[in-house]
Amino acid sequence: MAKEKIPRQPMPEQAPEDRARNFDEVPYGYTEETAILEASRCLKCKNPKCVTGCPVNVDIPAFIALVQEGKFIEAAQKVKEQNTLPAVCGRVCPQEEQCEKLCVLGVKDEPVAVGRLERFVADYERNSGNIKMPKIAEKTSKKVACVGAGPAGLTVAGDLIKLGHEVTVFEALQETGGVLTYGIPEFRLPKATVQAEVDYLKKLGVKFVMDFVVGRNSTIPELLDKEGFDAVFIGTGAGLPAFMKIQGENLVGVYSANEYLTRSNLMKAYLFPKYDTPPIKRQRVAVIGGGNVAMDSARTALRLGADVTIVYRRAREQMPARNEEIHHAEEEGIKLKLLNNPVRIIGDDRHRVVAMECIRMKLGEPDESGRRRPIPIKGSEFIMELDTVIVAIGNKPNPLIPQTMPELETSKWGTIVVNEETMQTSVPGVYAGGDIVSGAATVILAMGQGRIAAKAINEYLAKK
Amino acid sequence: MKLTIDGKTVTAKEGETILECALRHDISIPHLCTHSALSPFGACRLCVVEIEGMRGYPTSCTTPAAEGMVVRTNTQALQELRRNILALTMLEHPSACLVCDRRQLCEQYRPEAEKAGRTTGCHTCNNKEVCEVRVLAEDLGLSELPVPPSYHQRPLERAEPFIDRDLNLCILCGRCVRICKHQHGTAVIDFIDRSSRTHIGQAFERSLLDAGCRFCGSCVDVCPTGSLADRYAKWYGKPDATIETTCIFCDAACALELGAKRGKLITAKAVNEDVPICVLGRFALPEFLNGTDRLRMPYVRVGEVLRETEWKEAIKAMAAKLREFVGDGFAIVCDTASTIEDRHIFKKFTSEVMKSKNYIEIKPDARGVSRTSLPKGTKAALLTGNFIDAAQLKALELLIVQDCYPSAVSERADIVLPAAVFAEVDGTIPDSSGQKRPLRKACDPPGQAKAEWRIICELARAMGAKGFAYKSAGAISKKLGIPKTDLQVERDKTPEAARDPKLRRTYFRGHRIDEKVRGLQELLIDGGSSAGAAETEHKGNFQILEKHEIAPNTHEIVIEAPEVAKKALPGQFVIVMVDEKSERVPYTLCDWDARKGTITLVVLEKGQSSRKLVLLKAGDKLAHVVGPLGVPLEIKRYGTVALAAGCYGIGAIVPIAKAMKDAGNRVLTIAEARSHYLSYYREKLQAISDEFIQTTIDGSMDIKGHAVDVIVKKLKDGEKIDCVIAIGCPFMMMLTGQETKPYGVKTLAALNPIMLDGTGMCGACRVTVGEETKFACVDGPFFDAHLIDWDELRDRRAAYSAEEIHSLGRTEPVAPHHNDNHKCMSLHRTRNRE
Repeated sequence: MAKEKIPRQPMPEQAPEDRARNFDEVPYGYTEETAILEASRCLKCKNPKCVTGCPVNVDIPAFIALVQEGKFIEAAQKVKEQNTLPAVCGRVCPQEEQCEKLCVLGVKDEPVAVGRLERFVADYERNSGNIKMPKIAEKTSKKVACVGAGPAGLTVAGDLIKLGHEVTVFEALQETGGVLTYGIPEFRLPKATVQAEVDYLKKLGVKFVMDFVVGRNSTIPELLDKEGFDAVFIGTGAGLPAFMKIQGENLVGVYSANEYLTRSNLMKAYLFPKYDTPPIKRQRVAVIGGGNVAMDSARTALRLGADVTIVYRRAREQMPARNEEIHHAEEEGIKLKLLNNPVRIIGDDRHRVVAMECIRMKLGEPDESGRRRPIPIKGSEFIMELDTVIVAIGNKPNPLIPQTMPELETSKWGTIVVNEETMQTSVPGVYAGGDIVSGAATVILAMGQGRIAAKAINEYLAKK
Repeated sequence: MKLTIDGKTVTAKEGETILECALRHDISIPHLCTHSALSPFGACRLCVVEIEGMRGYPTSCTTPAAEGMVVRTNTQALQELRRNILALTMLEHPSACLVCDRRQLCEQYRPEAEKAGRTTGCHTCNNKEVCEVRVLAEDLGLSELPVPPSYHQRPLERAEPFIDRDLNLCILCGRCVRICKHQHGTAVIDFIDRSSRTHIGQAFERSLLDAGCRFCGSCVDVCPTGSLADRYAKWYGKPDATIETTCIFCDAACALELGAKRGKLITAKAVNEDVPICVLGRFALPEFLNGTDRLRMPYVRVGEVLRETEWKEAIKAMAAKLREFVGDGFAIVCDTASTIEDRHIFKKFTSEVMKSKNYIEIKPDARGVSRTSLPKGTKAALLTGNFIDAAQLKALELLIVQDCYPSAVSERADIVLPAAVFAEVDGTIPDSSGQKRPLRKACDPPGQAKAEWRIICELARAMGAKGFAYKSAGAISKKLGIPKTDLQVERDKTPEAARDPKLRRTYFRGHRIDEKVRGLQELLIDGGSSAGAAETEHKGNFQILEKHEIAPNTHEIVIEAPEVAKKALPGQFVIVMVDEKSERVPYTLCDWDARKGTITLVVLEKGQSSRKLVLLKAGDKLAHVVGPLGVPLEIKRYGTVALAAGCYGIGAIVPIAKAMKDAGNRVLTIAEARSHYLSYYREKLQAISDEFIQTTIDGSMDIKGHAVDVIVKKLKDGEKIDCVIAIGCPFMMMLTGQETKPYGVKTLAALNPIMLDGTGMCGACRVTVGEETKFACVDGPFFDAHLIDWDELRDRRAAYSAEEIHSLGRTEPVAPHHNDNHKCMSLHRTRNRE
């Protein structure tokens, strides 16, 4: 059959040598022609596996069929029936682990590029300016508060506003988007894209209250009892960086990935002195960790002009980052130092980082996570000279809300305990989702939980 | 003529004063108003001496040396007299740090001056490292002031290009007035008003600009205090290297003394203090060379984009391409901003390697404009600046640009090379008369920029040419037979542009200098450049309702922020962003009114962010105010609580005093100020404390010393204190902790490290307390002062000081209407009279 002969369409992107020194987005996206060509590869399975792989159940074959017909706007609307943030998900979802992993084509050939097509239709609709408003159900006069304007909160807001509820999103920072804004860098997810998705929600009627810290300005019981909200969704994320607890971690030049990325992405330090927040101008940077955040930090440091090495204690196969991200990082000239673990960080008399001592590791038996446990090799310590260390070994849940609401049940890791069917917490009317529930995970998982929560909240409000 | 000074027989020259003669013989006599470039003045009277046979104490700067004189310069009586004279002078200068008992400890903890708006002591004085007054005070052993000093409450003048003037530091030595007259015949500045109101200024209250100032900077150079400052250089401190070179902004070729710190150029001034230089030579160079958009790396065009690359690659690419254009189709265009050595190599390369006759050298016109057109048939060109109209470049098949800044030309180029220029290179350049002058390297070029001759020599060698194996610019000059050259130190007349800044050049290598140097945009020549600073809009929900400078450099700001006011508790803070481009900066809440929905902050002007905040007026709006943040202070019944407060902490302690008293404690509040004029909130604190004590560092009001001195004395006297809470600068809080520790009294300090989000998300505010790492925003701000790692806190707070100083140096002049000091001045004056 002719269909099989069309290869998976690559997405053109900036050459590594160029993009390593700018903050522009790496891929350019599909053209109309390549999008149609790629869409034509879809087998339109009767029983599409891909949909089951999608945490928010986008009707993938249907939107791809519309792309193939050249009905891009309609395709975008099809995606939006299930997904509040398609332009974001098309860029940052790990599709290779989800929809594309289950694509039947992928058994013998390469799967359909669902993510690239999703991104294409979302961008197409936005650029066309022809954004159709969805139908909004009759007003229910029920009020819902979303705490945090990140992926989970935005999803809940988008779903519930369409169901006719009044939705207010509370955000502590000066910009909406949560991790999409402060965490994921411009070159991977342009802030204008995030802003456009938020603007769409504003058009639907979602209210955003900025500079508002729930837990300080109002507690959740106060939102429910005094401010007249009928339900609350907590999507505050995993906002407390973890450190290694080794000597020298408070030296000048040691950053949490959160701080490093926030300075650059949210505060726009790379545009200093046009923006007031000073950038981190250093020459030799080590990033500790092997996840997506470590890749983002390393690639940001590279763009700020540094020589960057990623130090990871296990082997490449165990790195939790997306393959695409590791590949991009390596392409851009970032070095990987695998099976190495930092022992201490060394400073000068002004508390500035000058070096880091590491120890080599080997892999032992699998641990409880199923990954082979790294074991230090005695006597293999060595010194790396550097001036910046970025610690990207994960985040813990931010304790602010649980602290100000003792009746809320939390796990020993500080995450909020929920009923996974409904995302309801131990307190009736209070729901939670995203990293505050699952620890540090992905954008789309947070959105998936947001969808579940929104559905449950809607049912809860109907009964109330 | 022979005379005796301090028992030593010395020979005086005809017309020499005793002071000049003594200094020439390495006999030091303290002096302040005297300056080597100026005639004697006799104003400060510090140089008094005893002369046998003469009554009283004549000033050595005005007394001519005479045959047979017997002079004593260092008797006990003289030192006593000088000490008294200096003490009197210091009564009108922020002098508390000079008489502080803990001066040494303070210098150890913070050797470099900290940035501030109005300077209120040595540790926030831009002149600290080179201050003549400080040296004198030390030499003469000044340890106390006879009566309380006065502060004139003059506004910080920063509306002029390049020069900041803080007349509160002025000791009226008159050096600036005299040098202005000396340099330009008539002085733009003079002593204005009389007696205690005397100050330096311009007639009819005109601005320096309107009064015809030439911005030669001589006044700044001779000022012995921090009163006059070069805005860009102000907070860099003392250069660690100085070098004399020639200015090449124009062909007047003035001799410049350049100062660099860690390889970065920070100051420039005339080598010869007797002849002024122009505004470009004095003020423009460091900012021009340190521009953030300098070319730092080579670029080679790949498709649509200029791709950053390594030198090796760039040279290789260039050599390969140029081989196709050997012959008259190739041209080099440079101007005289390149050194003689550079130009020799350009010419040699053109004729010997490229076999072309098209070496084109432009002599800039009086404005510095270098424009030309390419010879017909040119296919490949190498330009060292923005010299050719874009339309002409379209016809080229290969364009190479070697320059210091990007331009319309470099954007079109196939290859762009970063050039080291001016103070970054060695070489020789001719002045307007053709005399050769030396150019000496004073600072490092940015990134990988290289000297121009070096780039072309490498290129020639890559193309296989012989005769380009030079190792230094000196080797080329030797080959060219250029003899050793001298700086143009002596000159008989003032350079044109130093007489009239409008006659200065506007361009350097085809780049508008005023696009790179902020202050020049105020000094218009021809309608200015297009690069005007964008006016920042102040939009937001948080309106400033009231704003007063309650003490010098200390501002009380009342802001409408109902959500904060509703929930604020003692000890909490807010994070403020003045506009959408600002930093997020924490400030402690000093008061709030939930009913009115307002909060009150006390803000000290320090760096860029607090400067932005205090320059706003009532009615302006802040983009973001978030809070209340931080763990509120635990309020309970301790017994006796001692509250130690300094600088902004005097404001921040107010809600704590109230709450502690309400909880049934005996509240002892001690406010420390450097001098009496820096105290504020006295009545307020008196009213809410069981006991209120004011200390001053200079002893000018109530008790002399720091707040902790009072606490320690009480503890020594056996008084029971159950808890101490300190809020102020880290030095003050460290001191409090150190000195209460032996008594085992619980002591808390409110920490103020750098923060971003303020909700625990970033961890920028990490502090070490005992063995543990704490986040000041969610675990603090209060921690056990006995356990805090104060050195680490200091260094973490200073993590970005170099970047901050650079950005502060480039700030725009502040229009006088933004300064509310005027209002305060009249206020304080009336108060003083009462």
